[in-house]
Amino acid sequence: MTQIHLQQVAPVFLEAEKLANSQLWKQSLSFAKGGRIQIVAPSGSGKTSLIHFLYGMRKDYSGTIQFDQQKMSDVDAEEMAVIRSSQLSIIFQDLRLFPDHSAAENISIKRLLAPYHKEPKIEEMARHLGIHSKLGQLAKTCSYGEQQRVAIIRALQQPFDFLILDEPFSHLDERNRQKAMELIEAEASDRKAAIILADLKPIEYFKADQLYKL
Amino acid sequence: MALSVKNIVPYLHISQNRSSRVFSYIGLGIGVLLLLCSVQMYININELIHDKNPRKNGFDYISVTKTITNENMGGDNRFSAEDVAELKTAPGILDAAPLVSNQFRVKASAGNIIPFSTDLFLESVQNDFIDTVPQNFSWQPGQLDVPIIFSADFLEMYNVFAPAQDLPQLSQSSISAVNIILECYGANGVKADYRGRIVAVSDRINSVLVPENFLQWANKSFGMGPQATAARVYIKTVDANNANLLSFLEKKNYHVNKDKTKFGRVKQILQGIVSGLGGFALLVILLAMMLFSFYLQLMIARSKDNLQLLLTLGYSPGWLSKTVARKWLPVYIGIVLIALSATQILQYIFQQRFMAARDELSPFLHPVVLGVAAILLVLCVMVNYRLIKKLLYKL
Repeated sequence: MTQIHLQQVAPVFLEAEKLANSQLWKQSLSFAKGGRIQIVAPSGSGKTSLIHFLYGMRKDYSGTIQFDQQKMSDVDAEEMAVIRSSQLSIIFQDLRLFPDHSAAENISIKRLLAPYHKEPKIEEMARHLGIHSKLGQLAKTCSYGEQQRVAIIRALQQPFDFLILDEPFSHLDERNRQKAMELIEAEASDRKAAIILADLKPIEYFKADQLYKL
Repeated sequence: MALSVKNIVPYLHISQNRSSRVFSYIGLGIGVLLLLCSVQMYININELIHDKNPRKNGFDYISVTKTITNENMGGDNRFSAEDVAELKTAPGILDAAPLVSNQFRVKASAGNIIPFSTDLFLESVQNDFIDTVPQNFSWQPGQLDVPIIFSADFLEMYNVFAPAQDLPQLSQSSISAVNIILECYGANGVKADYRGRIVAVSDRINSVLVPENFLQWANKSFGMGPQATAARVYIKTVDANNANLLSFLEKKNYHVNKDKTKFGRVKQILQGIVSGLGGFALLVILLAMMLFSFYLQLMIARSKDNLQLLLTLGYSPGWLSKTVARKWLPVYIGIVLIALSATQILQYIFQQRFMAARDELSPFLHPVVLGVAAILLVLCVMVNYRLIKKLLYKL
C-alpha cells in the first residue's frame, strides 16, 4: 500500500524547543493512501518546510522520509518528475502560477503532463468554483482568491495518491472554501487518494482521521 | 492532445536576443558551406590529379640516381648492394629495386621492314616495380625469344625522328609486331642472336627491360666485368612528397625525377590549401555554435522561473531538454540543407564551366560530402541538447 513514512524528521534550522513540543517533528509516523491528515501549525513552526520536504523540493532535514520504501533524499530528478506527475499533487501556499499565462493555460499545462480528466472538466470545475469567466484572463491579473482557485483546479488535473495542501483556502471566503473542499474531497475520493492538509488552524469541514500539531 | 514542443515554447523566452540568434544561424550556415565546399574540393583535386600520378596499387615508384657533379663525374656513381639495402630501410620507402644493366655489347636491328640498326642497352628490375607486366614476360634458358618491355617515352622519341629517317611510325599496339634482332657480343668474338619481341610499353620506367633471369644469364655468359651494379634504383613509396623521404634523398645527394612527382606536389599544395580552408570552416562553425550557446544560456536564464515551475509541476528535465532542443532541429536541418544545396550548385558550376572535358569529375556531390553534412547535423543537435540538459539540471 502506498505510504509516506516519516522517521525522526526535523528541519535542520528549527529551534530545539519547537521540535520538543511538536507531534510530528522527531516522531515516527505514516500517511497512508486514502487517509485524511490535518496538520495544524502556527506561523514559523516549519509547516511550509514540511510540505516542501514531502514534495521532494528540499532536503535540509534530518531523519528520513520514505515514499513507498524509497528514501526521498535518494530520488533523482527524473524519478521525482515521475512521482510528481503520477503520485503526488500539491497546492502551494504561494500558488506558483505562470503570471503571464491565462488561468486556462496554467491548468492545461498540468493536465497535458498526465491527463486524469478530459479537457471539458476544467470548465466544469471552474464553474463549480465560480471562476469560469476568468479562465481566459492572465493569472497575474486575477485576484489572489481567483488565483488560489486556479491553483486548486490545476492540482486536480493529474492522477495522484497524495494531495498535499498548504493553506489552500487562505484567500477564500467561507462559501468558496466549502465549495473548494467539496471538490477536493470528491477528486481525492475518486482516486482513493490521501489528503494532507496543513493550515494555521483546524478546518472544521475537513474530516481528518489524523491530526498533528506541529 | 499529446504533449509536444508547441505546449512548452510559450513558456520560453525564445524571441529574446533575435540578433545574436540570427547571427549564429548565418555563421553556422557559412561555416557549414565552407566545410562542405572544402571537402568536395579536396575530393575533386584527388580525382582530377589521381590519374596523372604514376601509381600502381596506390604506391609511387620513383627513379633514384646519384647526382652527377663536377667533382664526382669521373668516379663510379653506381649503387652498391649496401646503398640499395640502406634505401630499403630509409624513411618513407617501402621497397627498393636496382635497375641492373647489361655488361656486354648489344646491337639491335629490325630486319628489312624497318631498316635500322643501333647499339642498345638492356636493363632488368623486379617485376613488381613494372607498371605493365604481361604473363609472357618471362624467359627460360635456351629460349631464343626474349620479351621486352619498352619505355613509352622511347617510343615517342622514335616516332619523332622516324619520319626524318624514312622509317615508319609505330603505335603502342603495332610495336609488338616488330621483330627485333638482338645481337649479343661476348669476349673472344662470341656472338649470339636472339629474337626480341616488345610485349608491353611502360609509362613508368624509361628503359628497355628484359626478364631478370635473362639478363643475369647473359651477363654471366657474355659479360666481361665483375658483379653487375646499378646506376638507377627504383623506390616504392606511399607518398613521393614525404618530407622525411625527400630530406633523406637530399642528404644522400641522390637525384629523383621531380617531374614524376610534380602533380603529387601540386596536389599536396592544393589539398593543403583546401584543408586549411576546411580548418577555418570548422573554426567558423565552432564560433557560431558558441554564439548560439550564449543565446541558449541567456534564453534559459530568462525563462528560469517558468522552467523551474515546469520542473516543480512534474515535467522531467530529460524530456524538457529533448523538447527544447528539438525546437531548433528544423532550423539546423534547414541550415545544413541550404549549405548542401549551395555546395551542389557550386560543384555543378565548377564542373560545367571549368572541368567540362574531365569525365572523371562528377557534377554531383560526393557521398562523403553528404556524410559530412549528416555528421555536422547530428553534432549540432547533440551539442545543443547536452547544453540545454546541463543548464536545466542546474536549475
